[in-house]
Amino acid sequence: MMPSLNEYLMVSGLLFAIGFAGVLMRRNIIIIFMCLEMMLSAANLSLVAFWRFGNGQGMPAQGYDAQVLVFFVIAVAAAEVAVGLAIIVALFRARCTVHVEDLNSMKG
Amino acid sequence: MLPYYLEICVVVLGSLMLCMELFAGRRSRAKIAMVGVAGLGVIFALLMFAVCSPGEDLQYWGIYHFDKWAAFYKGLALISTLLVLVMAREFAPVFKHYTSQDEEKSGIGEFYCLPIFVCSGLMWMASAKDLVTIFVSLELVTMGFYVLVAFMRRNVGSLEAGVKYLILGALSTGFLVYGIAWTFGVSGTFNLEELSVVLAGDDIPSAPVMFAFALLIAGIGFKIAVVPFQIWVPDVYQGAAMPVTAYLSVASKAAGFIVFLRVVDPFLAAPSIREPAIYLMVFVTCATLIYGNLAAIAQKNIKRLLAYSSIAHAGFLLMALPALGAAGTIAGPGPESAISFYLAGYLLMTLLCFLVLTVVRVATNGEDLTALEGLGKRSPFLAFAMLVGVASLAGIPLTVGFFGKFFLFNIAIQNAMQNGLWIVVFLAVLGAATGFYYYFKIIRAMYWEGSVSEGEVTGLKVGRLAMLAIILLVVAVFFFGIFPAPLLGLTL
Repeated sequence: MMPSLNEYLMVSGLLFAIGFAGVLMRRNIIIIFMCLEMMLSAANLSLVAFWRFGNGQGMPAQGYDAQVLVFFVIAVAAAEVAVGLAIIVALFRARCTVHVEDLNSMKG
Repeated sequence: MLPYYLEICVVVLGSLMLCMELFAGRRSRAKIAMVGVAGLGVIFALLMFAVCSPGEDLQYWGIYHFDKWAAFYKGLALISTLLVLVMAREFAPVFKHYTSQDEEKSGIGEFYCLPIFVCSGLMWMASAKDLVTIFVSLELVTMGFYVLVAFMRRNVGSLEAGVKYLILGALSTGFLVYGIAWTFGVSGTFNLEELSVVLAGDDIPSAPVMFAFALLIAGIGFKIAVVPFQIWVPDVYQGAAMPVTAYLSVASKAAGFIVFLRVVDPFLAAPSIREPAIYLMVFVTCATLIYGNLAAIAQKNIKRLLAYSSIAHAGFLLMALPALGAAGTIAGPGPESAISFYLAGYLLMTLLCFLVLTVVRVATNGEDLTALEGLGKRSPFLAFAMLVGVASLAGIPLTVGFFGKFFLFNIAIQNAMQNGLWIVVFLAVLGAATGFYYYFKIIRAMYWEGSVSEGEVTGLKVGRLAMLAIILLVVAVFFFGIFPAPLLGLTL
């Protein structure tokens, strides 16, 4: 039997929640970054699911807008990783740490 | 000339500057900044004179729109980028101190080029009327800012600010994409005009629409720094280089607001979710007004103070939103016009303050309020320029900030008389009064504090271009503060 839209949305909501919880609770910047990527994937999953069941009768919606956006999101996520890891490496060189508690030079 | 040539021109200009950087060898990079300033000036002239579209709404392939708002915010993006380049050139000594004294290794050439590419993203944002274009252009801008914020690689503050901006920025991207997915799920479209048609229907379930709306607000609210998505603002403003801070607080906020207005509009126009959406907006507005103004009081670092004041200004701007699409007519300029006017005035006064602060930073090596002490004696002109900028931020009559606040209060009060919601007006009055106090702290530091011995009274060195920019900005703040009509006319 094929899963319905609800099941896909449940899974994507769960993924999103896990990712968000990870961002809030983990202390290692690299792991936080992984959780952020997971949130984007969750959004991608719901986009594709919404497209697949888009016409109301369980059939795909017209057009391919949603898929195009998914590709954009994947590209943006890749660019973000490239820039982000570079910044994290620069931080590690300067401070020898990748933990968020150590990022405390500014207060107020 | 077709309007989308403007963005192409900006990208070509950026690539040209990168090529110059490539062949510059060990020579000074100051010329690259000059090319950027000149190029942006030419493109601004093209926008003013070659691209005409008063009143008509042009659109290309459904993903690029050109109307009066697009033209106005493109102008804001170009002007602010131009002034930021002037500022960056002035800031070069400090920048090199935190990267490398060597022209080539310091990366200062790239530092001049990146704002140009960010500018193209800002201009696309002004033209975006569907969620896909909004997402892509927003990311173009954010990605540029990640690099710009963390650019001073030997400065711990800059790197920390970069990481904080990166993580919270990526988080807001996650919310935005998830919100877009849910918007697509309920409406089956990404186009904002089609979205408003779908949402106006009766059989729309309100719970998922509100969910999508809240997620979209979270994603875009990050850009314009509204509470509770403002956590990054103080640290990033403090850590980033002075020109980048100025760019973040002006251009990023202005482009964020046009996108915000365009995205919020279909939701506020939908009868079934208008009421909860308004309550959400009012909550966000009140929280932003309280937090921004109260947290600014205790600040000692100027950049941090301006960061909190920038949050407070976002609160003032949001004050006009509940009137969007409300029943009853409002005398005077509408919400969109008032917000656009305020943002233009905010550009003038904020960049004026940051230009003066950049000069002071280069000369005194300090970013605390104490660095401004005795500025009234050391450099009366700079102190006067700062006084004008700060007075305008506080909203004193005869400056552009006064009319900005006046139009916003006009809308908020009329809306409150028709539809209630006095709490927003009350908090805004309180916030404006608090503003006088913390802006006055800057003035006090300049004129009444710190003793300067006779030997020290030497004028600060100001580049010719920066001097010209400061003079023009002072004149503009006064001019539009006395005759707001020309600027307001562009937004009506």
